[in-house]
Amino acid sequence: MLTDRQPRSFLDPAVLARLAAVPLLARRPMVGTVSGRHASPHRGSSVEFAEYRKYVPGDDLRRLDWRAFGRSDRHYVKEYEADTNLRLCLVLDTSGSMEFTSGGVTKIEYARRICGALGYLASQQGDAVGITCVAGGIVRTLPPRRSPAHLRLVFDVLEEAKPAGPTRLPEVLHEIAETTRQRAVVVIVSDLFCEPEALATAFSHLRFRRHDVAAFHLLDPQELAFQFQRPTRFFDMEGGGAIFADPIDITDRYHAALEAYLNDLRRVVLESAVDYHRVVTDQPYEQVLARFLVGRAAGRGLR
Amino acid sequence: MTFLQPWVLVALPLVALPLIIHLINQRRFQTVRWAAMQFLLAAKALSRGYSRLRHWLIMALRMAAVAAVILAVGRPLSRGWLALAGGGRSDSAIVVLDRSPSMQAVAAAGGESKLDTGRRQLADSLATLRAGRVLVVSDPAKGPEEVSSPAALVELATAGPIAAAADLPALLQSAYDFIRENAAGTTEIWICSDQRANDWKPDDGAWGGIRDAFAKLPQQVRIQLLAYAAPAKGNVAVRAANVRLESLGRDRRLVVTVAVSRQDDGGRLTLPVKFEIGGISTAVDVELTGREAVLKNHVIPLERSAASRGWGRVSIPADADVADNEFFFAYDEPPPRRSLVVAEDPAAARVLELVAGIAPDKAATPVDLVPPGGLAAAAWNEAAALFWQGPLPEGRDAQLVQAFLDRGGQAVFFAPDRPTTAEFAGCSWTEWTALAKPIAAESWRTDQDLLANTMAGSALPLGDVEVRRSCGLAGELVPLASLPGGAALVARSSRAEGVTFVATTPAPRDSSLAAEGVVLYALAQRSIDRGLAVLGGARQADAGPTAAEIAKACGDWMRLAGDAGSPSTEVGLHAGVFSCGDRLVAVNRPAAEDTALAVADDRIDGLFRGLSFQRITGTAGDTDSLVQEIWRAFLIAMLLALVAEGLLSLPRAAAADRAAKTARPLEAAA
Repeated sequence: MLTDRQPRSFLDPAVLARLAAVPLLARRPMVGTVSGRHASPHRGSSVEFAEYRKYVPGDDLRRLDWRAFGRSDRHYVKEYEADTNLRLCLVLDTSGSMEFTSGGVTKIEYARRICGALGYLASQQGDAVGITCVAGGIVRTLPPRRSPAHLRLVFDVLEEAKPAGPTRLPEVLHEIAETTRQRAVVVIVSDLFCEPEALATAFSHLRFRRHDVAAFHLLDPQELAFQFQRPTRFFDMEGGGAIFADPIDITDRYHAALEAYLNDLRRVVLESAVDYHRVVTDQPYEQVLARFLVGRAAGRGLR
Repeated sequence: MTFLQPWVLVALPLVALPLIIHLINQRRFQTVRWAAMQFLLAAKALSRGYSRLRHWLIMALRMAAVAAVILAVGRPLSRGWLALAGGGRSDSAIVVLDRSPSMQAVAAAGGESKLDTGRRQLADSLATLRAGRVLVVSDPAKGPEEVSSPAALVELATAGPIAAAADLPALLQSAYDFIRENAAGTTEIWICSDQRANDWKPDDGAWGGIRDAFAKLPQQVRIQLLAYAAPAKGNVAVRAANVRLESLGRDRRLVVTVAVSRQDDGGRLTLPVKFEIGGISTAVDVELTGREAVLKNHVIPLERSAASRGWGRVSIPADADVADNEFFFAYDEPPPRRSLVVAEDPAAARVLELVAGIAPDKAATPVDLVPPGGLAAAAWNEAAALFWQGPLPEGRDAQLVQAFLDRGGQAVFFAPDRPTTAEFAGCSWTEWTALAKPIAAESWRTDQDLLANTMAGSALPLGDVEVRRSCGLAGELVPLASLPGGAALVARSSRAEGVTFVATTPAPRDSSLAAEGVVLYALAQRSIDRGLAVLGGARQADAGPTAAEIAKACGDWMRLAGDAGSPSTEVGLHAGVFSCGDRLVAVNRPAAEDTALAVADDRIDGLFRGLSFQRITGTAGDTDSLVQEIWRAFLIAMLLALVAEGLLSLPRAAAADRAAKTARPLEAAA
């Protein structure tokens, strides 16, 4: 059910319908405000048995286990797991580098599709959705809410996001970790063009605050291949200077630097338990999201 | 390096093509808005040493490949092992041939001689080089001789072996005269020689002039020496000397001294020495243990009916150099040992008359004491030697003496009482030096000339001769004996043949030459012997200009022995015997040919210092060509350069693939 009647370029109903078959689950218990489909750290009224507890005055007599009383002549209360909703915090990188494309879709457009689809799916299963656009700092933010009207605002933010300025993702992630008081699923959609060590501290901070962190690392095919035939003047899309380079002279060293960066990043996400997905923007985003959702569904049951 | 199609080298600037393309590419840069700047910055910060080196190596290899293609199309030529010396196609090629007997040496039995190898290699090379004109200088008297094609060099009769020594300075002078007079363009001089000292005469003063003359030529002249300096192994030379006819009643016999010699110290060798006289052969074994063995005064009886005048040949079996395996000689009844004495000092005249008049054998030895004013009436045609003590001849007297010398006579001049400014044979007397005490000669030449050791090897007692007064000498002289301080005691003229000067007199007040008469006697008798060799009905002559002059002066000469195939224009240059009127002339290689050593390479380099000179070492019988087309080598070099360029370019592509593969997987890393 689309709550937004306005057509959005980054939403494909067919893709959303197919993805809706797989729930968006958190990898760790969430503390929600209402009942939902996500595991909670508290006891509740779900159908999933948790443990027996001695009856104390004031307990609801309906929860007394008469069979246990019959066997042991003692009063026990049967407790069940609680299910709750989650907070989905979408962190969208809107730095200048997200506007890059080598011919296909831009990274910001790809990021819109991922954020839009995840927001819709979360909203559909009753979870709160919020968004934070980051560049040199927090450009715009919407706290997680459950209402369909709020989802429309999230879509508006996505639509209006304009890539500009430098990337200060680690600093913003620290800020989000501090300001988001309750547990949340933090989904970062960015090209992560910052130092892996700085990201490592930010990820650790989020993990310390018991957030479930997922990252979609967007890379353009040309950024990986670096295939240029002629000497090129490279202008920094984030406002830095220009670099003149002959591909013959620099390609091998570019690849060496890229490989070192990716290795460092792989180490960082492993150490920080980040649900990391490297995405090349020439891949279908539906496939990327399906892999993301299925991977999470396979890990359900953790509390 | 020489090219058959040098015009292709005009395209050599294309070598810069890869560099130009690189520079153009640098200018044709594109502008890209780029996101992943951090990797570019990191790449810039990484060490660029290997990358830059590889970059320039690739560039250099591309340029080398282009250069190799251009050079290969130009059809480069390799010149033996010294192919990298500069050069191009020349307008004229002058071949200077050393045809001396030592050039007939072979490296292996039945092989090709040095001269034949050189001629063939030069013919092949010049055909490949396509020289404009090909000229051969083999005789300085004739000058360069143009041949129709390089191949004709092999068959050219006047380029064949001779018995005369090669006069390299004169041959080069002849080549220089041709270049200067014909205004030849770029000229290449090919010298084919075995670097023997008697052919090159490295001490000859003419070398300096030749070197300067070539250096001043406006056109480019390249000199190439095709050197076959390796000595002939195991070569033995035979030579006859002192051939004389002796009569004992009605019987006559020939007395010959034969010397066999070799350059290297081999083991004991027994050689059958064969004599051929009037069609009758006899042989005698000579044992050679050192470098030389002498069969002294070997007697060969002659038939009573044999003529008193004849010729013969002494030979040994053929070895590495057939040119020195035979020696011709002629004999005749010995002429009277007549000599002339002209002296202003009676004391000196008496002594000279005595030493000239006592013959070593029983032969008659008339001595004509000629007064200074009676020269015209003297028996010049019958005299073998002239002993002159007095002022040097001038005017008519000088002409008479010069005619006597031209005929082959020997003249010994002793110092006059009062030296004049007169000059003869390029020399003149200066002034007397009175010595405080008698001195003796400090050094003298014992190996050759008038003061040489005796045949038994004993030195003349010149050190016992006291000189009380000596007269100075000036002019073109070669000292034979020197006094302390360097002044010449005995010297011969380097300008005229057969002229010797003694810087004192036999008078007792001047020297003890008379008292210690051995030296003066040997000097006088040797001079007479030399003169007699010319005067007799049989004459020995070294192959060369002298023998050629004899034949030329004779006019109706006839070859009696020797190489029948040799050109008649080169009579006197080939070993053999020819008759000249009623005289016999035996022509043989010069004695120096048997003993001459090779001139060191650096010495020859010094002779051509400042000129474009290159030496190519050859070997007799070598079948390789001096010049070969080597375009294949350049094509291989091009292929190697391209393969190397490809290998250097490969790692970059592999790294890109590896980087792309590591970045592409979709699986979550965490």
